[in-house]
Amino acid sequence: MVTLQINGQAHTIDAPDDMPLLWALRDIVGLTGTKFGCGIAQCGACTVHVDGKAVRSCMLPVGAIGNRAITTIEAIGDTPNGAKIQKAWLDIEVVQCGYCQSGQIMSATALLNRTPNPDDSDIDAAMAGNICRCGTYVRIRQAIKNAAKSV
Amino acid sequence: MSKKNFGIAIAVIAVVAAGFGAWMVMIPGPTAFASGSTVALADYKDANPTGVPKEMANADLIARGEYLTHAADCVACHTAKNGGQPFAGGLAFNLPNIGTIYSTNITPDKETGIGNYTDAQFLATLHQGKRADGQNLYPAMSYTSYTYMTEADALAIKAYLFSLPAVHAPAKENKLSWPFNNRSLMGIWNAFYNADERFRPNTAQSAEWNRGAYLAEAMGHCSECHTPRNLAFAMNNRKKFAGALTGGWRAYNITPDQKAGVGSWSDNDLATFLSTGHVDGHGGAGGPMGEATDNSLTFLTAGDIRALVVYLRSVPAQDSDLPRTVTTPAPVSHREGVTAGLDSRGEKIFAGACASCHDWTGVSPVSKYATLTGVRAVNDPSATNVAQTIIAGVDRTTVNGKIFMPAFGTAYSDDEIADVANYVTARFGAKGASLTAKDIASLRKQVAQQ
Repeated sequence: MVTLQINGQAHTIDAPDDMPLLWALRDIVGLTGTKFGCGIAQCGACTVHVDGKAVRSCMLPVGAIGNRAITTIEAIGDTPNGAKIQKAWLDIEVVQCGYCQSGQIMSATALLNRTPNPDDSDIDAAMAGNICRCGTYVRIRQAIKNAAKSV
Repeated sequence: MSKKNFGIAIAVIAVVAAGFGAWMVMIPGPTAFASGSTVALADYKDANPTGVPKEMANADLIARGEYLTHAADCVACHTAKNGGQPFAGGLAFNLPNIGTIYSTNITPDKETGIGNYTDAQFLATLHQGKRADGQNLYPAMSYTSYTYMTEADALAIKAYLFSLPAVHAPAKENKLSWPFNNRSLMGIWNAFYNADERFRPNTAQSAEWNRGAYLAEAMGHCSECHTPRNLAFAMNNRKKFAGALTGGWRAYNITPDQKAGVGSWSDNDLATFLSTGHVDGHGGAGGPMGEATDNSLTFLTAGDIRALVVYLRSVPAQDSDLPRTVTTPAPVSHREGVTAGLDSRGEKIFAGACASCHDWTGVSPVSKYATLTGVRAVNDPSATNVAQTIIAGVDRTTVNGKIFMPAFGTAYSDDEIADVANYVTARFGAKGASLTAKDIASLRKQVAQQ
């Protein structure tokens, strides 16, 4: 049994220590907003926050998390930067097919948490690991800048 | 030059040449560095340093053979990569300028394995490097180490191997250039470099030290990778455990040297690393050492691991060109640190493919196994093992679960891999590497399995 702090709630789940967090989130806790993409931390679709930092949940074993706070796409809008990012995303219609966008929003929010006014280089360093098959990169970049400027 | 002076010059050259020749062939034995005198095993009064540990004293022959087969790590070389049947052979050893040697089938198959080997033939293989037909093996088979194994232990291994399912797997033909394709020449080499003697305990050293020496030399054959070789390709025990490039991977300096070796590791660090292939602060084993851990060392009892640590601590420290490892993480921002402003292709690839697990600091948010800070390979300016790890990834099944990193060898070009390896060693290590695409091509060739 493993106890995880997910979106402000404690969940005790019956899972082996080496189960990736993504499996626990989707199949056990039922939070399916976080997506499975590649399973080897190469696409970013499964990004969640652990203590405010972007982490690939497909490679993170639940046994390694302990009491650290997990935030998923379902609750990111409750944080100030998450709300700003989501609004900026809607304002310029960043999303095309949408599959990667949970991960994009989680990475972008983590970027703003650390770097309130990111420039292109900061955005590249933080977002390069989140890939988008539809190629919405230009709008992602713009939305991050808009969110940083918004109050 | 007068006739007399000419004669003197010739004599001096002859003496120097003879001296060099003698120095080349008279390599001290693997445990000769230790003070004290040795005795035959039968005359040794303390706890028996050979065989299985005391916990297994009542185990049957096959169980003892299994423990010793793990300790001697036969499976590592006698199994082909990418899903080869265990012990069925087929692993390629690529020797620069010499050719390729393939390991053979040591399952009990009568036609293609060792099913017809008598005890005497099996002993001759391990002790003298001779196969059943009397032909010489090449020392890619580590018989110059196994020669120190007792007959009882060798035959326990044989009993275990003969208890396994027979696999029909004909040996691949070696591809060796002249004159190395002539097996009989190995007889001369053996006369110089195979001691053909059994382990002799040292009465001035502790029983634990002797057990460690037996495990390291006769069984685990650590030296085969970790000791540099001389011009004749024999292990140079004058530089025992000082590190060497073996099969395209760097086996690091494991002497007690503070800077280049493992002198700064605690005994517990060493024991944990040996038994699990990872210890926080020093990183994890990948490549061949990852295999040696998961196939061999992890099966050893805690007492045997302690004995190995005692033995490792006793070898003379050897300096080498490795810098001291950097133990502080890199800055949080990619703009800071020694790689600031480089804006290199290495950095771009790192951002896309590596940073999500390894982080810009080098301290992984995902797994302690993925932390780069303090890892010897990252602090090796040759970046050999960093590049090999990028190419091959990591896929280990350990006592603590699976450790996985994707293999990027087919996703990235030689140029790109060189750039990332250079970036990683510069940002997280002591000194950035300067690998080129040509170096990467060469590294790929050294580990190629075809």
